[in-house]
Amino acid sequence: MQAGTPDMALTGIGLRQPHYREVLEGRPALGFVEVHSENFFADGGAALAVLDTARELYPVSLHGVGLALGSAAGLDPWHLDRLALLAQRVQPVRVSDHASFARAPAAAGGTVLHANDLLPIAFTTASLDIMVRNVTQVQERLRRSILVENLAAYLAFDDGGQMGEADFLVALCRRSGCRLLLDVNNLMVNALNAHAADPLAACCDFIDAVPPGIVGEIHLAGYCEHSDFGIVIDDHGSRVRGLVWAAYSHALRRFGPLPTLIEWDTGLPALAVLLGEAHSAARLQAEA
Amino acid sequence: MTGISDHEDAEALRQRELLARLAAARADAAASPGLRAYRANAHASAERALGTACPTLRVLLGAEDFAQLAREFWHADPPLRGDLGEWGDALPEWIAAHAGLAEWPYLADCARLDLALHHCERAADAVFDAASLALLSSTDPARLQLRLMPGVQALRSRWPLASLHAAHAGRDESLFDVARDRLQQGQGEAVVVARDGWRGVVHRIAAPDLAFMQALACGADLARALDAAGDGFDFAAWLADALRCRWLKEVALVGD
Repeated sequence: MQAGTPDMALTGIGLRQPHYREVLEGRPALGFVEVHSENFFADGGAALAVLDTARELYPVSLHGVGLALGSAAGLDPWHLDRLALLAQRVQPVRVSDHASFARAPAAAGGTVLHANDLLPIAFTTASLDIMVRNVTQVQERLRRSILVENLAAYLAFDDGGQMGEADFLVALCRRSGCRLLLDVNNLMVNALNAHAADPLAACCDFIDAVPPGIVGEIHLAGYCEHSDFGIVIDDHGSRVRGLVWAAYSHALRRFGPLPTLIEWDTGLPALAVLLGEAHSAARLQAEA
Repeated sequence: MTGISDHEDAEALRQRELLARLAAARADAAASPGLRAYRANAHASAERALGTACPTLRVLLGAEDFAQLAREFWHADPPLRGDLGEWGDALPEWIAAHAGLAEWPYLADCARLDLALHHCERAADAVFDAASLALLSSTDPARLQLRLMPGVQALRSRWPLASLHAAHAGRDESLFDVARDRLQQGQGEAVVVARDGWRGVVHRIAAPDLAFMQALACGADLARALDAAGDGFDFAAWLADALRCRWLKEVALVGD
């Protein structure tokens, strides 16, 4: 391998519409590409055709943002049907979604709405039961294990009786057979919003609470400090920050090299910038 | 009820209350920064989703007013599904009933056309069955159905829908004059939405063609569709258009 061209076998990027042509024609070295499942739920059309082409060039990972696995109202059968169809078509290397909820009626007995956002769940035993049930339903339908991602949460529930987030996710993995999609940027966003004295140490503590073997993929992204709200937002709109790289290195030392995705969803840069971030991740994998 | 169910009920209540605060039309004055961030996310999703589905409406209203409309609509008719490409079908009726938009009564139909194009571009891909045309010369029309391509839709408006769409979809300034003249004359238009490659396109059609295609879309056999179209309908001309513009998927025997 030449100096400066790391082995990219485990590293991927989020494939987004402005980069479709450049990626599919240029075919940069990547271990996989990841797409948001819901963007390909249509019966047909251009996006699905692009995905079919991408599938011929790269392993594809389906990353959902709408299953709403933590919803007490349960899963939307329509959503699960569409995901099953897509998975059958794409034969993805991995299927994942988030430890969040989105489905609930706005009033008791009312129509179940979908917030189309990754809303936080409380880390209670009841939430765990709900998530295990929903994750199991997905896995039985897809006939495969899925990955569940830890969340960047902008609300916390402080009513007591909750377990730690890492313990919650580890228990979810053990009870349902799913694996953890560790989003290191989300760990950092939560640590910063919690005003942790040492945000990097807080991230490393979380990572150390996760047993090796449970993590199936890592996500890296950029965050921003939102002046209007006075909090840090996981906006996937910039380069991976130095503290997040440091936490990633810690995760690699603990878990060994893992499939790693660079997510960039807002204010997309030139593809070369995104690939540069992916190369940085691959170099850290080689050093681990 | 078991203890576990009671606990799950508490989680359901917690989730319902949070979602209700996000769905409420008025922002909660005491909202935490996090809750405000989630509301901002929702509004950004609304603007992005409706902007994708209704590009002509966005041009007609201007970016700022369109964003306001998208945010209002999000709270008036919140999504039920986790694919925002499926959201927005109630928009035309909502616009038609919106007092603040009464000055532009054609907006609702423009939204209807935008949504028809949006759905057409997401419709199943299909291939025209050329061999099936042979049935037209061998079979009683009462035993035939002409099946349209997925996503093909015929619409009628009391407003010059095709002209308004053309004026706002392109850069030809003269088309604005055409649309303005037809609006002033109260000239309605009928259109067919179909796919040209991956893109949805608008074809202006005559009233008999509209009646014919709407009958086909309702599942009428060819004989009944011809009756619905009336005396002014030229089937041969329609078929030529249907083949050129990819409206027709196949000719089939009723019941097949």
